[in-house]
Amino acid sequence: MSPAEESTAHGNQTAKAFTLTSAMWFAFATTFGMIAAGYLVAPDFMANVEYIHFGRVRPMHVNAVLFGFVTPGLIAAAFYYIPRLLRTRLYSERLGVFSAVFWNISVAAGMAGVALGYSQGREYAELPWLVDIMIVISFGLVIVNFLMTIRRRTEPILYVSIWYAAAAVVLTACTYLLGNVVWKPDTGALAGIPDAILLWFYGHNVFGLLLSPMALAVAYYVLPIATRSPLYSHTLSLIGFWSLIIVYTHIGTHHLLQVPVPTWLKTISIVDSVAMVIPVMVFLINIWYTVKGKLGDVHADIGAKFIFTGTIYYFFVNIQGSMMALPDVQRITHFNNWVVGHAHMGVLGFAGVTALGGLYFILPRITGRPLHSRFLADFQYWLVLIGITGFSIVLTIVGLIQGQAWYNGETLYRTLPGLQPYFITRLSLGLLIMVGAYTGLYNVARSLYFNRGAAA
Amino acid sequence: MYFPYFIAYMAVGFAVSLGVFFWALNRGQFKDQERARYLPLEQRASAPAAKLTRKGRIETVGLFALACCGLAASATAIVFALTQAR
Ligand code: HEM
Ligand code: HEM
Repeated sequence: MSPAEESTAHGNQTAKAFTLTSAMWFAFATTFGMIAAGYLVAPDFMANVEYIHFGRVRPMHVNAVLFGFVTPGLIAAAFYYIPRLLRTRLYSERLGVFSAVFWNISVAAGMAGVALGYSQGREYAELPWLVDIMIVISFGLVIVNFLMTIRRRTEPILYVSIWYAAAAVVLTACTYLLGNVVWKPDTGALAGIPDAILLWFYGHNVFGLLLSPMALAVAYYVLPIATRSPLYSHTLSLIGFWSLIIVYTHIGTHHLLQVPVPTWLKTISIVDSVAMVIPVMVFLINIWYTVKGKLGDVHADIGAKFIFTGTIYYFFVNIQGSMMALPDVQRITHFNNWVVGHAHMGVLGFAGVTALGGLYFILPRITGRPLHSRFLADFQYWLVLIGITGFSIVLTIVGLIQGQAWYNGETLYRTLPGLQPYFITRLSLGLLIMVGAYTGLYNVARSLYFNRGAAA
Repeated sequence: MYFPYFIAYMAVGFAVSLGVFFWALNRGQFKDQERARYLPLEQRASAPAAKLTRKGRIETVGLFALACCGLAASATAIVFALTQAR
């Protein structure tokens, strides 16, 4: 079948809807990020617009990247590869499109809620109670579609990407419910230390059991196709999957090493954080061996290029993460911009870049036409890459300055003038990423709806 | 008293994972691994492998340099942290 025939045979409306969702929220989310970064340069910047105070725009930024940009981007790719790997049709395109629409309504309602001040004030769980329920329903709709497609498969073996994608959405629906304490609608929280433990159990699972597995699934699917080589080892990939399920689930307490939580929990979290080396290296060895000697092919496909770059960030963010879970290191790196640097490396450098790669990989395949502009996609690649690498360096430096000052008992305000230049650099780097996001939105929208390219 | 709940949750998670694992084992998900490696490959006429262009090579070097910056930053930080921590 030619790509054009293939795309009509499958319809792909769901993948298209989630693709557009992701590109759109990427643009909004970076805009919120720029506003937040603006406050760090000039604290009274827009001081009298209450809806976008730092305390509101920061959670808007974070929730928009997590639930608006990265997750839908990875889900778009999943709606493409799941039916193909299982040699069947998607269970229901109508349900899929409905879930995408509902998803957007939920995220938009969350943004409005936080902007109006209805935040629940717990990091990564700020969205108001009603929106929490809507998000869980959105995940539920996606789960039904995934699992029913798996049931109707004609290929008996589940490829590793299927394992990762299915586990990610099911586990996230559960941990989201628990972590947001939905059975207490008035506060959305427990009291005291147990709340912190539960919150970070959930918070870390957003990166570990949602973004990481969904992104690995995309890499496992795209890179073999782009390099036209079989996966180096499928057994190894399954070992990686099961070890990730075992060690990643209980490391949330490494966010609380300097909090009076029980020592046994801290110990488990530190041991498992270091043990994360196993699933991470299993994945990297597997995927790097698969593409070994085929970098030309990786460069030839813009999607694969993004995703390969994502794997490099994956390496860094995990090595760094394992170190940050060591109490001696964390004495310096905790409570400052070092962690914000790590967060951007993980959520943007690894998961976000992989999501973008997934979008560019599937776009020509779901529309049956070439990308509107390969040049713009390349342009976005460099803007995002330079932006995120700059973020990593600048925020790491800021973190070290802050960490050392804190450690030596320096008064906070005396460190601030020294930090100003770094925050200005960060703001400028953010501009690159934001321009990249809008460029991407234009390219995606053109590719989906106003594509005059000849059918492939 | 919250940790009984937490332990109960972890136990349930573990039990469900084990259940799924044995389902997979019994359904032969760990067999036929050789064929599984080829599952993503589409049945399309394959074009000749692309060569790494000059631009591509420059990009690779650029990427490598960026990666080294990251590594250097991380290494510095860890050395700092470990030598300063008492
Ligand atoms: C081996 C894997 C990893 C380990 C051991 C790890 C470890 C850590 C640790 C210890 C912290 C807390 C730092 C502190 O508060 O002092 C942290 C924070 C964070 N990590 Fe990771 N990390 C890993 C991978 C990732 C990945 C892959 C992502 C993204 C997809 C990620 C995203 C984040 C984010 C967003 C935070 C900030 C949380 C906050 O708001 O405080 N991490 N990580
Ligand atoms: C225009 C580009 C961006 C700018 C200017 C920006 C800026 C910011 C700022 C100012 C914060 C708050 C940090 C603090 O409290 O000190 C933040 C947090 C965060 N951003 Fe961004 N951001 C950008 C893009 C992104 C993207 C694209 C992603 C993910 C794909 C992302 C993920 C995050 C996360 C996960 C946090 C929470 C970090 C933590 O709690 O440790 N950001 N960002």
